[in-house]
Amino acid sequence: MINEIGNIFLSISATLSLCMFAVIFFKKSLATNIRFTFCKYFSISISILITLSFLILAYAFLTDDFSLRYVANNSNIDLENVYKFSAVWGAHEGSILLWVLVMSIWCSLIILLSKNMPKTIIIDMISVMGLLLLFFLVFILFSSNPFDRVFPVPLNGRDLNPLLQDPGLIIHPPMLYIGYVGTSVPFVFAISVLINGSIKLEWIAWLRKWVIASWMFLTIGISLGSWWAYHELGWGGWWFWDPVENASFMPWLAITALLHSLIVSEKRGIFINWSILLSILTFSLSLLGTFLVRSGILVSVHAFANDPERGLYILLFLTLIIGSSLTLYFLKSNILIFHKQYSVSSKEFALLLNNLFLTITTFAILLGTLYPLISSSLDLGKISVGAPYFNFIFSALMLPIVFLMSPAIYSSWKKTNYKSLTKKLVFVLFYSLILTYIILNIFFETDVFVVFLAMFLAIFTIFSSLLKIYQVSKTNKGMIIKKILNIPSSSFSNLFSHIGIGILIIGITISNYYSVQKEIIMQKNSEIIIKNISIKFVGVQNKLSKNYSSQVGIFDAYSDNNYFVSFFPEKRTYNIQKNIMTEAAIDSSLFRDIYVALGENVSEDSWVVRIYYKPYIQFLWYGVGLMILGGLFGIFGRRKIEKKLANAI
Amino acid sequence: MLYRLSFIPILIFIAILFFLYSGLNKDPTLIPSPLIGKPMPEFSSPTLFDDNEITNQDLIGEIYILNVWGSWCYACSLEHNHLIDIYSRGTIKIYGLNYKDDKNSAINWLKERGNPYKKNIFDNNGNTAINLGVYGAPETFLINEKGIIIHKYVGPIDENYYNDVILPIINNE
Repeated sequence: MINEIGNIFLSISATLSLCMFAVIFFKKSLATNIRFTFCKYFSISISILITLSFLILAYAFLTDDFSLRYVANNSNIDLENVYKFSAVWGAHEGSILLWVLVMSIWCSLIILLSKNMPKTIIIDMISVMGLLLLFFLVFILFSSNPFDRVFPVPLNGRDLNPLLQDPGLIIHPPMLYIGYVGTSVPFVFAISVLINGSIKLEWIAWLRKWVIASWMFLTIGISLGSWWAYHELGWGGWWFWDPVENASFMPWLAITALLHSLIVSEKRGIFINWSILLSILTFSLSLLGTFLVRSGILVSVHAFANDPERGLYILLFLTLIIGSSLTLYFLKSNILIFHKQYSVSSKEFALLLNNLFLTITTFAILLGTLYPLISSSLDLGKISVGAPYFNFIFSALMLPIVFLMSPAIYSSWKKTNYKSLTKKLVFVLFYSLILTYIILNIFFETDVFVVFLAMFLAIFTIFSSLLKIYQVSKTNKGMIIKKILNIPSSSFSNLFSHIGIGILIIGITISNYYSVQKEIIMQKNSEIIIKNISIKFVGVQNKLSKNYSSQVGIFDAYSDNNYFVSFFPEKRTYNIQKNIMTEAAIDSSLFRDIYVALGENVSEDSWVVRIYYKPYIQFLWYGVGLMILGGLFGIFGRRKIEKKLANAI
Repeated sequence: MLYRLSFIPILIFIAILFFLYSGLNKDPTLIPSPLIGKPMPEFSSPTLFDDNEITNQDLIGEIYILNVWGSWCYACSLEHNHLIDIYSRGTIKIYGLNYKDDKNSAINWLKERGNPYKKNIFDNNGNTAINLGVYGAPETFLINEKGIIIHKYVGPIDENYYNDVILPIINNE
């Protein structure tokens, strides 16, 4: 009974979404305030209804209601409660439900936090959101309904995919979806602006906050995915250029470009046309990602859930939404062009280059991801594009982007004094080179050119960001603390996210080039030495858990004959699906991870064991942490502009 | 100038749509094996039910299906009834390649569900499968009477696949 209520709530939400979309057609006959109130109540009711049906589905999972096909396929009596809850978004139907839930909440937030924006713009944004919600809700109701019943009711469920039974996977999808769906905010903004035919710089300031928020959630989501892959897959890798990963990375690159072009649009009133196009592209890439992941046309050889019918629906939706918005852009974008002069040495130009390279990178990854499709439909044979292509193209294109960060930080709007720019740059370049040389020689004893280049870029970026913030604080008056407190938060946002990128690059480079890995057969009581650490294989014990049985390896690690830690890597066999999962054991410290994974049992006492020594891998997560901190400063610290916006109205 | 350029995104989008649409109806699991047209790699393994050696020479002489499976493999259990149907028609012999499996659980599995296989190669360390370029279970190969691999499919097969794809190939041979 309660499940039918969930279903009815979804139907009502779909109807309300249609009404919300219809508001756009009553521009002439209804007063703005009335239309705004309608939108407000529609969107809030939709959020409440979808939240309720989401909770009803969660309740069905927690109470093991296997009369729902979706629950029967993705849960099990013995599953831990946490995973029963996260199983709600563990497969197709539930993740689309999570998608609309997140979208309805974004939608309500827009209307609640739009005090200083003109109501006509907000109404059109919300109406377009209504159309998007309608599409997804219809999709759920007709082809992916999680409330579908199954008869006869199975006694027990088929269990959640064991790969997904991991803490990292509990919050990864929601974070990613918040980011994904967040890209719809600049999209509906772009549509609304194109329809209304006018734009004000204060509106861009308002939009930037939303864009930073969705950038931040995308960053969190993607990095949690990597973190999960690193812990769960047992290969010691964290990024595989898998189509599903690319699907989330392309919107991230596009929204990073958007973030930077919006700065120029807001401060100088140019690139507006481009920002609008980027907003459309970013959301298009999010939709495309959903299509790629959900239609199964690009999934790996082991996914047997190919569903052309669902794919066709999303493709039609894609055609309609993206096609019509690009056409709208084509027809109306010429009214948004503002011409202003800027020189090659200006900040505008540096950010133009940043956007150019980010866009090219996005398209290079898109090309690589779609290439198997392109080649097969042109009958060039089935080819899959592997990591070497992506690694090469990505690092080659990232090089100029990272290198440009420092000149962009030091240059000024319109035109920079060449003399002072060169002076600063030469100073930073020189010391960064020396610093890189010293660090590499002392700590890594290396002269690999690629490592040197990457480390130099990272140090160059970090050094110039720090120097910039010092210079900004120097112009403030008063005591040191006051000087720091008076630094505008946008500078902090810039500082942390750019330093984050630098730290990330250090982590990637060093862990890639100086990892030591050993895959060997170890006998009980034998020892192996990896980077001055000796690891002793004590034995294997059997362990029984609620829904899996596992073999737990016991390894003791000694440094200079002093015991310091034990590793307990597991090989789990899940009772229902009979999958074997590796749970690697990892000892992390600031400068290195030791990673032990248990392989196959060769004979009675000997096992295949994989041991990795990964230096600086932790820097990856620190770098991401700093980028997120930068995002937080960007969202919460923009009071000055808010005031300006309030005064403008 | 810029007005005309703003048409480019639409063009790119149409091109992408074309490829997405054409990809929609193609099966991503159809991966051509470089082994097609090549002889079945040599192997020598015990069979599942007794320890008699079986080699590739033993199989030459008539066309047969080689099905890679394991009792640990969920998709194989979905495929199994379809294999039994194909077996009961009697048009073609099916050999099994029991891949990375435990001997007892494999035997029990067949006792419980029925045995469509004429013989099973017991490949518990996966050596034969590696030579065949097996990604995972289930996979199905079609090998002609000269011992040449003529077809490969990744994923579970069913009657439709047998009728629409495998039968025409057998009839052509």
